[in-house]
Amino acid sequence: MAGDGSSIQEDDDLVFRKICSLLDPLNEKGVKLTRATDLVADLEIDSVTVLDVVMDIEDCYDISIPVNTISETRAIGELVDAIHQIKKEQA
Amino acid sequence: MGLFDKFEKTATLYNGLEAAGRNPFTVVMEEVLGPTRAKIRGRETVLAGTHNYLGQTFEPSAIEAGRKALAEDGTGTTGSRFANGTFSGHKALEEDIAAYLGLEHCVVFSTGYVANLGAIAGLVNPAEDVVLIDADCHACIYDGCQLAGAQTIRFRHNDPESLDKRLARVPAETKGKLVCIEGMYSMYGDIAPVKEFVEVAHKHGAYLLVDEAHSFGIYGENGRGVSEADGVMDQIDFYSGTFSKALASIGGFVASRHREVDYLRFGSRPYKFTASPSPASIATAGAALENIAGDASIRARLWDNANRIHAAFTQLGFRIPAPSAPVISILFDSEEAAFNAWNFLLEQGLYVNMAIPPGTPGKESLLRLAVSSAHTNDDIDRIVTAYHALASSLQQAPIASAE
Ligand SMILES: Cc1ncc(COP(=O)(O)O)c(C=O)c1O
Repeated sequence: MAGDGSSIQEDDDLVFRKICSLLDPLNEKGVKLTRATDLVADLEIDSVTVLDVVMDIEDCYDISIPVNTISETRAIGELVDAIHQIKKEQA
Repeated sequence: MGLFDKFEKTATLYNGLEAAGRNPFTVVMEEVLGPTRAKIRGRETVLAGTHNYLGQTFEPSAIEAGRKALAEDGTGTTGSRFANGTFSGHKALEEDIAAYLGLEHCVVFSTGYVANLGAIAGLVNPAEDVVLIDADCHACIYDGCQLAGAQTIRFRHNDPESLDKRLARVPAETKGKLVCIEGMYSMYGDIAPVKEFVEVAHKHGAYLLVDEAHSFGIYGENGRGVSEADGVMDQIDFYSGTFSKALASIGGFVASRHREVDYLRFGSRPYKFTASPSPASIATAGAALENIAGDASIRARLWDNANRIHAAFTQLGFRIPAPSAPVISILFDSEEAAFNAWNFLLEQGLYVNMAIPPGTPGKESLLRLAVSSAHTNDDIDRIVTAYHALASSLQQAPIASAE
């Protein structure tokens, strides 16, 4: 339901949790994942691996996330926001 | 300060490799002894990690052509293709490549890397077009997309269905769609299902570019590449290639059945703003092309050598990720294992390439061997013997757990 604050919040949580589940196997140091967690600085994930995770997200939500968008994204929260933005555009 | 901080981690890694004895990334060919032999660290070594697929580096007709060009046209063009660096040799070679491929149009660039930059950045307008690339494409295709500044979407490696889904999602208002794949991928030696990619791309009104850097001169009945082997030479839209592998020179090209490819001559910065290949480079590439186009036995010898090595490695029990091809890789459980194996082989007098993540498919650590038609029976014996010794040493003391 567009415009309904609580459902956006719920959707946000779902996307966040989905990303966390994809990142979990790569989180070798067991860093606590929050929206502020930086993929490269905190999780030490290389750029190609980030692109591979994004491909899983694309197939999960049936959206396309351009490589250019990803290179501007550093924190998990930014990725969540980018996914929402693209889901809206590609809906 | 600051500026150099980012190198610290890699510098530590490289210095560590150097200290451990042998750094795969600082090998020097001290003396070249022939198409498949060089002196490395004072010792005669079999080269199985260069891209001299068709053994053309010492081809007498190419050396003669290069000498003649040096004497007649000088050492360098001192200019770009666009301005003052186009000689009659560059034009003649464009025609020869076009004729060989059976594509009408061809544009020669300074290297294969520059050719892909030039094609992608020249063709794609970031304001209205989109590029879709195979996830395992070479760095120069990624860099071409960056230079273009266009929306770039990756699809799963060698997966036409993954491309299909992504093309279906491209917004209707997008004007041009360019899909980029390679013929043979150089890490595993696996080949693309080009025919299926053509079908998917064209179904969505997209253009298909195939980089045949590693397959030009090698695949297909006439050696035109994987596109020929798949029967779709007349359907692909752009064909990029290099002179630095099968032709044993330096330079690159983009060929096409679309005459609009000529627009790159004024619309592509990598064509306009870097010097053209030297006359001798052009002449040797041309002579090598004439040679390989006219003699199918060179290609046959390469395949024969590849099949022999692939069969031997299979028998030795290595993990090999692809069927027989001019690149034959074996996979290891860790970077350290690959590094140790690389050193082991060099000590046996064999040079191959080590590849470790992140630049490898599936984050694998591997040794890749590039076969040459010029590998002699003696070379192949030495290759197989060295890998045999490696297999034995792995069995006795699994390299994965070595220090
Ligand atoms: C797939 C691919 N394309 C292009 C190139 C670049 O060719 P060149 O060495 O002529 O710049 C290479 C070689 O490294 C390659 O592997």
